[in-house]
Amino acid sequence: MPLIPKVGRKKISMRFLMGTITAVLWLGVALHLFPVWWMFTTSIKPSYEILKFPPTLWPAHPSLAAYRLFFYLSAGGWDVLQYPIKIYMKNSGIITAGIMLIQIPITALMAYALSKLYSPRWTRLLFLICIGTMLIPMQVSLIPRYLIMRHFPFPTRHIPNIPFTDIPFPHYNFLNSYWAVILPSIYSPFNLLLFKGFFDTVPPELINAARLDGASELGIFRRIILPMSKPVFAVVSYFTFSSAWNMFMWPLIVIQKNKLYPLSVMLYKFQNILQSQQVVPAEPETRRLLESGMSYNGLMAISIIESIPVFIMFVLLREQLMTGIKLRGFK
Amino acid sequence: MACIVFGWYPIGVALVVAFQKFSVVRPCTYIGLDNFKYFIDDPTIYISFRNIFYYAGLNIILVFMVPIFISIFLMEMRKSIIRIMMILWFIPVASMAGIIIWKWFYNVQYGLFNGILRYLGFPELQWLQDENLAMICLVLPGLIMFGPGLIYIATLQGIPEELYEAAHLEGASFFQKIWHVTLPRIRPIIAMMLLLSIIGNLQVFDQPYVMTGGGPNFATYSVVMYLFDIAFEQMRFGRATALSLILFVVIMVFVIIQRKYFKENPDI
Repeated sequence: MPLIPKVGRKKISMRFLMGTITAVLWLGVALHLFPVWWMFTTSIKPSYEILKFPPTLWPAHPSLAAYRLFFYLSAGGWDVLQYPIKIYMKNSGIITAGIMLIQIPITALMAYALSKLYSPRWTRLLFLICIGTMLIPMQVSLIPRYLIMRHFPFPTRHIPNIPFTDIPFPHYNFLNSYWAVILPSIYSPFNLLLFKGFFDTVPPELINAARLDGASELGIFRRIILPMSKPVFAVVSYFTFSSAWNMFMWPLIVIQKNKLYPLSVMLYKFQNILQSQQVVPAEPETRRLLESGMSYNGLMAISIIESIPVFIMFVLLREQLMTGIKLRGFK
Repeated sequence: MACIVFGWYPIGVALVVAFQKFSVVRPCTYIGLDNFKYFIDDPTIYISFRNIFYYAGLNIILVFMVPIFISIFLMEMRKSIIRIMMILWFIPVASMAGIIIWKWFYNVQYGLFNGILRYLGFPELQWLQDENLAMICLVLPGLIMFGPGLIYIATLQGIPEELYEAAHLEGASFFQKIWHVTLPRIRPIIAMMLLLSIIGNLQVFDQPYVMTGGGPNFATYSVVMYLFDIAFEQMRFGRATALSLILFVVIMVFVIIQRKYFKENPDI
């Protein structure tokens, strides 16, 4: 509370100012919460109530039909509706977990090595190499990454032979698998900056002392650095989690099978079905589904389901996040 | 290692592919600058670049400032209130869910906004189907779904309170304090966030792709959407890569301008 001094708080003008600020902030909170509230109430409204105007703030006959329909969807649906939503949930989960489990250790160890293990000259060069990718927008490497994923690690279909033999180099098509989504993001320059900024603040005496005691480098990292750097790990995992969970464009490109879509893509496809259904009559299966009460409430139900994990993540890491953001790498 | 394989290798490939007529089946042939020349006469690229500049500009004018001021104001509250508000603000909406609910709000027939307008007796608007309005509609959700930036909060907490007391003793008013004490302190962060936001906004894809699909008469067609269409609809990877390099050069210009003009440190 630095802007308004404690002494003058009782004055009318100060009170007015304070009141205005408070009002603005609560208004902001209300505006922010409104879509969430809308999403939630819509998801438990029965379908005839959804398009009613004026809209009801709380459904007259709340029902969990939208949620139920999704968890027990049997085969025979159409497009993305073939599978129950838990499949997509699982996809999103696997992709996110994969990215977090691979990316965070790699990036942390890289940052630690950069920060503590190399001589200054090498550090500077390696650091520039690592950070350089951050300046280049992700869209530049979008298409090459797609091509590389198709015949990993070669960008074209023309694959050279191993010298002096007729056997082509081993290659693998990662498209239409979780790996296609996970692999390109196993390294993140942004997180590297965060980690390095934090590791730079660790006093080198600590590490030297541990070395004298005979600890191995990995041991030092695990025993000394890890316990110290909880906040920065919290920040990084929150960012990584939410960006991996919200990833849309990349999965849309590399995954063509309905069964493997993450939730965000599934939501988009489902939304398209709803939209097109207003214009042309959809397939009988879809129509049956829509007639049985699936419309915006279903959409909103998935939206809620999609939002929950991010929220849980935030609540779990909240304390650490608040204390942990010290973006020293930002310069 | 990971950095090289997934960071630099694609970029090297990009540089090569951009100059080739890339074909999935036949070996690639080198065609020089033809991929770039194609874009000179292409009206779509001008439209899409105009669109992303418009989008980024709107975003920075309308949306970018909000979290800064919210964070500054938030610091005035009592600790307990800060805590409650932060949680409420960070009840997150997964990005796709947020886009979808807004698309529904904008729906001409069933949407909430037209419902309200109808109820109040105003003429209905076409929202996302209106060429002039569509872009603003894309930006508005950001205005509502904002929250205080965690980064700003963290920086604000680091400002020593003595500075404010000193400013107060010298008779600085409320807004003078914000202008002379707070803003200079968080300026490096603002500059950084501004840069990131420009870079991010110029590459916008999700919102226009989902909400308007390019919009009425290309009004919201972004460069990355164009790139996506060239590459994955027409299967012309070489040309798409050339476009991505053009986009990269444009973004780079912004980065350089930004680095030139925001290099001051408040403590010196």
